[in-house]
Amino acid sequence: MKEYTRFLWRCFRLSFHGDWRYYTWMLLLTVIALLGLNAYCKQLVYGLATTGMTDQVSWGLYIANFTYLVGIAAAAVMLVIPAYIYKNKELHDVVIFGELLAVAAIVMCLLFVTADLGRPDRFHHLMLRFNFPLSMLTWDVIVLNVYLVLNLHICGYMIYTVYRKRKENRKLFVLPFVFIAIVWAVSIHTVTAFLYSGLGGRPFWNSAVIAPRFIASAFAAGPAFIIITLQVINRMTSHEMPLNALKLLRQIVLVAMTINVFLLLSEVFTDFYTGAVHSVSAQYLYFGIGEHTALVPWIWSAITMNLIALFLLYLPYRGRRVWVLNTACVLLIIGIWIEKGMGLIVPAFIPTPLGEFVEYMPTMNEILVGLGIWAFGLLLYSIFVRITVPVLNGDLSYDTVYHTEPESKPAVRNASGSERSVPS
Amino acid sequence: MAEHDPTRPARRPPDTPAHARTAGFLIGPVFLVLAIIMFLGSRSTEVPAAATPEFDRALLRVEPRRTIMGDPPTTVIAGFDQRCNACHKLFESTPGGTSPLVQHSQIVLNHGINNSCANCHAKEDRERLVLLDGSSIPYAEAEMLCRQCHGPVYRDWTLGTHGKTVGSWEVGSSDAYRLKCTECHDPHSPRFEAIEPLPGPNSLRMGEPARGEHQRPNNPLRHWTDESAHDHEEAHE
Amino acid sequence: MNLRIYEGDGKSEGACGGSCGCGGGGDGAGSGGMSRSGITRRSFLRRGTATAGGLAALAASLSPLRDLESDDKPTVEKFLQKHYKEMSAEDMESALERIRNEVERRYEVRPDIRDIKPMDGVEFVYALNLTRCIGCRKCVHACVAENNQSRDPEIQYIRVLEMPRGSVDIEDGDHHYDRPTVPDDNHYYMPVQCHQCANPPCVKVCPVEATWQEPDGITVIDYDWCIGCRYCEAACPYWARRFNFAKPSLPTSDLNTTMSYLSNRPRQKGVMEKCHFCLHRTREGKMPACLEVCPVGARKFGNVLDPESDVSQVLKTKRVFVLKAELNTLPRFFYYYDERDPVGHRGGEGAAS
Repeated sequence: MKEYTRFLWRCFRLSFHGDWRYYTWMLLLTVIALLGLNAYCKQLVYGLATTGMTDQVSWGLYIANFTYLVGIAAAAVMLVIPAYIYKNKELHDVVIFGELLAVAAIVMCLLFVTADLGRPDRFHHLMLRFNFPLSMLTWDVIVLNVYLVLNLHICGYMIYTVYRKRKENRKLFVLPFVFIAIVWAVSIHTVTAFLYSGLGGRPFWNSAVIAPRFIASAFAAGPAFIIITLQVINRMTSHEMPLNALKLLRQIVLVAMTINVFLLLSEVFTDFYTGAVHSVSAQYLYFGIGEHTALVPWIWSAITMNLIALFLLYLPYRGRRVWVLNTACVLLIIGIWIEKGMGLIVPAFIPTPLGEFVEYMPTMNEILVGLGIWAFGLLLYSIFVRITVPVLNGDLSYDTVYHTEPESKPAVRNASGSERSVPS
Repeated sequence: MAEHDPTRPARRPPDTPAHARTAGFLIGPVFLVLAIIMFLGSRSTEVPAAATPEFDRALLRVEPRRTIMGDPPTTVIAGFDQRCNACHKLFESTPGGTSPLVQHSQIVLNHGINNSCANCHAKEDRERLVLLDGSSIPYAEAEMLCRQCHGPVYRDWTLGTHGKTVGSWEVGSSDAYRLKCTECHDPHSPRFEAIEPLPGPNSLRMGEPARGEHQRPNNPLRHWTDESAHDHEEAHE
Repeated sequence: MNLRIYEGDGKSEGACGGSCGCGGGGDGAGSGGMSRSGITRRSFLRRGTATAGGLAALAASLSPLRDLESDDKPTVEKFLQKHYKEMSAEDMESALERIRNEVERRYEVRPDIRDIKPMDGVEFVYALNLTRCIGCRKCVHACVAENNQSRDPEIQYIRVLEMPRGSVDIEDGDHHYDRPTVPDDNHYYMPVQCHQCANPPCVKVCPVEATWQEPDGITVIDYDWCIGCRYCEAACPYWARRFNFAKPSLPTSDLNTTMSYLSNRPRQKGVMEKCHFCLHRTREGKMPACLEVCPVGARKFGNVLDPESDVSQVLKTKRVFVLKAELNTLPRFFYYYDERDPVGHRGGEGAAS
């Protein structure tokens, strides 16, 4: 236990050390996160009127980002499947970075949901009267938190065993949880999709294809995110990534994206060929209605990006020309973000169930809060990576002194200062 | 990369002290600048809200539209309540006419096919109403007169599906009261006048409210709409 | 004052001011550095300024909280208040007393607030005669006056739609019609408010059971329990729910001091509200405010379990319909027509209607 606190303390101290790029990056993220916190405090004082949301469009940027990040979190674990089920050794090392990304993404998810609440001070009511199993939101609360704990455990355990140079007891402490996490990853995204598709009053959402579409788009955006992340880690740290893994990741993205585009097409066809009144939201999204065209440029840029990305992915992969893959990934990440955010959450509210057209545009304050949460999540992930890399390299272990630390290591004096929520 | 040699030194030292120190020196000032910006930044953010439109609160009165005549009916002449028959006994009214000379000049008869006061008012006793069969009823039972032409509406009124019950929804409650025909309708001109609507919703915090119906070309449900009426309406607006 | 508290918090928790978004942190790094032998002055200075700067930035980012109004600050009393259904009589009385004091502080008038329970053997139903409604919007504003809705930003429970004749599709409705006089001959009018569904989607989705259906059929909200997630607003197919995006405001002179816990007591920022059939009136036998003010008698309200009530008669003798019946929400709000439209297009001149 004492050793564990020391480990946490060293991790904590380690997160303040780095080269100038690390400092600049972290400083930038901190500044944005603080600006976001500032904006959120204003929202607390003046209410959600500081956002662009109205009674007509009652969910906006926050819930859109939440939805997207649930996808990222779910898909991060997708790396685990080939690694463990197909015993792909190359991915083993990558898995931990995927799971860490899942942790950061879930934290962001929870922050986005909290930012969207009108009364965050009453959060404890969830504990007191939990409308389970009726409300899909309670399902979401459960699956997200369990998923967070699962991933924290898997990462924490794996990193700590490497740190202690112990042989990890895979059969008992990792594998069962990994398999649970895989199933759970699908469940978090399915439940989040059900959150929307279960609402009969919103025809735009009330479609069975939402859940598969969510999962397909998540399995495209998530691995795309990881492809980029792996290369960044590879370049910025001393950790050598198995870049062969990119090949497999690319295949996952390719398949998932193809399915996603297919599902999107199915949905668009059903909406437009039927031409029922219920397709008004879709009409609004893709073509605008009258002078209401706010979402049209967004969705078409998303479609363009997704199609270009798909085209690039279908080009034969050559390891040398990794920039093609990277371009595709960046396009995908942005494209799917728009498609699932602006393209999925907002149009369901336009027109309202009573046929009123009110458009939605996030306010500056709202955007700042959103950016702040993203910055905080990336900050968290950067710290995770900062700690994990030397541990995995063997540079930081219980019996070594890491080169950023002074030789005369003082005894652990302030254990309370390092209370991190890493479960043991 | 499979296994790491723990004794192997890090490939690249992740710390380049000189740069890092310079960067480290920047952290404090950057934060301070940020703090100043946030402190001095506007304390409130803009919360767009449309102004609430004003209207006359008296329009929300819940009293019946009309005060009905008592039974026997009276009218105010020279500051005093006068019984109808007080005058009508003295003066013979124009037979079958609709345009009174002296009294009741404000009354305009605009009630379906009615063409004479005597369609409803009893000639012999001006304090009573006359039915089609020639028998007369008191003013308090005016609905018996109305129902002669407005059968379905009278039926609906007795059932409670036409008209207005106020006071209480409890059937048989002493507070419940169903307004009489003439408490809403002017018997001489029973159709309701068009009135000015109260202000519309103004809850939109963003953008102009959307107006109008969305376009449905070739909607057979709308073909009956009189084009000229539409033009007229637009000209009116 | 707040400021100091937060600064203190930052320090005592020793959060990671240096580079972590949650601020602080300086304590660990700073004091650690100070006590260590062989530390250079430069490095101390570096860490010191970074820590101080971090703390200052954290404090500055939290500084808007100094404008938090006293009503919005969490108190132990509010924190411990139970869910409506779990409150004992004493719990309710103390909650009511707290509300009385709050209202008195805010509006300088002591309200008559009670917790009015549903009546036995009563299930409320509303019926609205589309033939008669003239779209004057009096119901909208009478409702606002009765139920203490926020005037700025404006919250209204009733929306009146101006429908083109020949259509029953509410998506054809105009919410913002603005005519010199109503009714217009080419349109009819359809007010929409909470339909008090017997199978309410909004109740199903609430994660904290802050909204539920009462035995008399009214779906109510415990304003002190709602966490403001707005899931119910997304779930409602009739757009009947409203959210307090800002602190609700109404002039003291406009306050209706006859209140009930589940109905028209003043709401807070960040919670949902909706039509509750004026339960503080109707549970005492009175008519809802929207009905009383209606100048044409288009609105019918009553106990559907009583076969003689107005609404039972409407259901028995009229052709009724509900909005979006395909959603199986089973609304308790019915629309009906009369046989003959008195203001039909090209006038029912002389029509005996």
